[in-house]
Amino acid sequence: MADGLRRAYLSVLLPAAALAPIPLYWTGGANPAALIAFEAILLLLGIRARQGKPVSLSTTWLNLLGLAYLGWVAVELTTMPRSFLRIVTHMLLFSAAAKLASLKTSGEAKTALLVIFLLLLASASSSTHVASLIYFGLIAILGFRTLVRIAVLADFDEAPPPRVLQSVPTGGLAVVAIAGACLLGAPLFYALPRLRAPFANAPFRVSDEFSSVLASDRVDLEAFGAAKRSDQVVLRVRIDPSSDRDTIVRLREASFTQYFDGEWRRGDRAPAVPRTGIHLLPAGAEREPASVSFELAHFGSGFLFLPYGATTVELDRTRLASQTSDGVVQISSVQSAVRYVASVRTRLEHVPGDSAIDPNRVPPEIRDYAFQLTSGQTTGRAIADRILQHFLQDGGFHYSLDAPPPVGDPLVHFLLRSKIGHCEYFASAAAMMLAARGIPSRLVTGSYGGEESLFTDAVVVRGGNLHAWVEANLDGSGFVVFDPTPPAGIPPASSRVAFWKRFISLGQELEFFYDRRILGFDSLDQIRLIDSARDAVGLLSGAASRLEAAAKKIASGSGRGPVIGLLVAVAAFVVLAALARRRRTPPATRAYVALREILARREGKLADSVPPAEVARRLAKVMPGSKADGERIVKVYAASAFGGREPDPAAVRDIEESVKRLRKLA
Amino acid sequence: MTLIPDWQIRITNFGLGFILLCLVVAIAATNTGNNGLYVVLAAMLSAMVVSGIVSRRNVRGVSCEIEPIGEVTATRPVPLRVRLTNGMRAETAQALFFVHEGMPGPLWIDPLKPGESREIVVEGTYPRRGVVRRPDAGLVSRFPIGLFRKYRRASLPREVVVLPLPEPVAVPETPPEDQRGGRPHAKRRGSGSDIRTLRDFVPGDDPRDVHWKQSARMRRWIVRERDAERDRVVILAVDNALADPADPGQLEMFERRLSRCAAHAILLLSRGGEVGFQSRGVRVAASAGRSQRTHILEALARLEAIPMSGAPPFPPVRRGDLRRMVA
Repeated sequence: MADGLRRAYLSVLLPAAALAPIPLYWTGGANPAALIAFEAILLLLGIRARQGKPVSLSTTWLNLLGLAYLGWVAVELTTMPRSFLRIVTHMLLFSAAAKLASLKTSGEAKTALLVIFLLLLASASSSTHVASLIYFGLIAILGFRTLVRIAVLADFDEAPPPRVLQSVPTGGLAVVAIAGACLLGAPLFYALPRLRAPFANAPFRVSDEFSSVLASDRVDLEAFGAAKRSDQVVLRVRIDPSSDRDTIVRLREASFTQYFDGEWRRGDRAPAVPRTGIHLLPAGAEREPASVSFELAHFGSGFLFLPYGATTVELDRTRLASQTSDGVVQISSVQSAVRYVASVRTRLEHVPGDSAIDPNRVPPEIRDYAFQLTSGQTTGRAIADRILQHFLQDGGFHYSLDAPPPVGDPLVHFLLRSKIGHCEYFASAAAMMLAARGIPSRLVTGSYGGEESLFTDAVVVRGGNLHAWVEANLDGSGFVVFDPTPPAGIPPASSRVAFWKRFISLGQELEFFYDRRILGFDSLDQIRLIDSARDAVGLLSGAASRLEAAAKKIASGSGRGPVIGLLVAVAAFVVLAALARRRRTPPATRAYVALREILARREGKLADSVPPAEVARRLAKVMPGSKADGERIVKVYAASAFGGREPDPAAVRDIEESVKRLRKLA
Repeated sequence: MTLIPDWQIRITNFGLGFILLCLVVAIAATNTGNNGLYVVLAAMLSAMVVSGIVSRRNVRGVSCEIEPIGEVTATRPVPLRVRLTNGMRAETAQALFFVHEGMPGPLWIDPLKPGESREIVVEGTYPRRGVVRRPDAGLVSRFPIGLFRKYRRASLPREVVVLPLPEPVAVPETPPEDQRGGRPHAKRRGSGSDIRTLRDFVPGDDPRDVHWKQSARMRRWIVRERDAERDRVVILAVDNALADPADPGQLEMFERRLSRCAAHAILLLSRGGEVGFQSRGVRVAASAGRSQRTHILEALARLEAIPMSGAPPFPPVRRGDLRRMVA
């Protein structure tokens, strides 16, 4: 291979070779030192090629290097027995570098391309971060450019002129080709058969506060506040029908009955046998239940968010969940998003379950405070109202996510001293005081409200929407929701994303899309897609049937009357519109237009640029005897159109007579 | 690889390798359930489709017309005017190569912008005498990513007559006196003894007529032009009836006869003689001059071998004309 051609091949292959293994640095697929050495070799090859002296190792050198590398492989196998992937990727890196340093034929350039492709496969298959999308985009652009130029070089036996490689591919075509490939590739990606569960799932992006709040059977006051400060997406909720969105805003996750030094525990509850479908309540008879789909993004092991009134829960992927006596659904540890659908009754009198805080385990300071505060109240409802009034009005309490550092028990500190805290402080204190007064109560965590998704009709529940409240049996008839948090601390039921936050949201949506729709896409999703397609076809088919029936009805005569009426109405509308347009045209203009038409019939098509005076002059020339009428019309028209002086009725009559005479003359 | 393809689209070795890789990635993706591999596979499959569509438009959208400049003689280089027009309204035609059977390799064509027309002149050769109606030339492209190689044959505004290459031969014998034609004498140039003038050498001149002293003085070949010695009407004849027209050996002999005949005609005409040509079913009336040279060479270029059985006879010779069979 001539030096010039080798240089051309190197200039085409080196950028792709440099980019292909980059993700291996983050995925641990290759030793960073090996990657740096590889990139350094490519840099050296690039510099030498640019200087016009491309490196071309002889076969002897290659053999020696190969033998030396075999020795290194033996060392790797003995020292890193569990890193087989690394050994393979290191071998690929070595092969790519060696091949690029010893290009002798165009066939060898294609072999180098194959090795680069294998590096790309290693990178693509081991990348699970959303940034892989950037990698895929870059490699698509660079890969297309490389393949196009390699294809061009295949027809050259000698060095091509520099303009050859610079001229292909043109930018526009590259954009069109890549866009076309993306448009085609996206449905292909979703249509390709999935026989196995996804090999890699989204990385478990749960910070400590989330893991302690959402993924365990205990929750402490500090961690809950930290979780509420987070902007992370907790779950996405899709409500069908969407009209029920306003009523399904409070999602219950877990209930707690045991408190100890700032931490709530669920207590021992014997869960039922795990199963994929769970019946929580008997279905309501009032109307068709709402269907609520959930995608719980951040989850380890814990509880499902469910709306009040949920009657059944169906989990995807044959996952198992169990229901406890207090209506909480618990799921075992999972490493990916959990999807489930709940049927929901919109009217619910009481919350199921009877677990409650043991009054004997209420801290004495809180017990005393409760008795002191509600000494005048005897019924549960009155006690609850007094507590609420105390928190909102006369207690001097303030809602804040930044509660001061507690001295002693955080709850006691909040109630007696700081009087500043977030929703869980208020709910915990209220639950404890109710329990102290002998009213069965418990703390419940969950979420309230959410924001509208940027791209879908789903409700996005973020860390800020996490909320805590109380369930209490106030009048002995059953547990009901009691929310003692001041309004400032209750998340909005529905919110829109602020403009400046949209960029952040966009990134999060993209992350969710990648995790959920690309990395975690599986056969169940495919089945769902097929179902959607089938439903769409069914809808179309139904619409076609209705259309056909309507057509038959019209053809049979029974529906002819309305159609004829409609046609008559359309015709009348057209005629009236034409008349109205005619009325709007000033009489002088109408006369001048008629003048032009008469002249056009004599001279042929008249250019728009012919001025009125010229029209009159030409008409006088081709139609002797028309001079006076023509000039009169033009004069009135000029005064009307350009001078803004509308002709009086006598003048209008005059020009209309003139037009009639001219038409006769013509 | 033959330079001029007999196909319009063909998958390349690279394309075959690409398909094989698709299969490998498909198996890997299906077996592992790795969605990263599914992304790569989907991209590869869609790249194949897009490549097919783009390359089809790229080659089909460009028209190519070739036309030789001047006389075309078999195996001799001839300048060819190639007109390329990109008929696409929005796409730039790129990565195109022009191929011709008479060129040593593909010729790179710089990208053609939408609607652009370009004219280039290349040098090519036609290996065989005859009439070319469909040129062995056209545009080839592996665009965009080399999976397919597409070819579009060039068009010819009119047929190309490839004249036979005259075989170097000895000066034909002068016809004997008793066989001379009965045409009136004319003071024409020929091979008489009187020198008419001196002029530049042209192909076909008898080397014996070279005026060495004058050539040395003028530093170019100068020949003596003589008066015609007498009227010579020679009808050259080639038998185009072969026992087996498909036999390569017989065809080669036939082609050599045609080349020899061409050489005789050129020599005789250059010496001022009247020359005609005959073959079975073919007749070129005797005449002199440069146009007669063209007539005879064109007739030779168009002459085809026919089977002996049922072959028509030679046209009759006019009284006094000499018919000389070229063997």
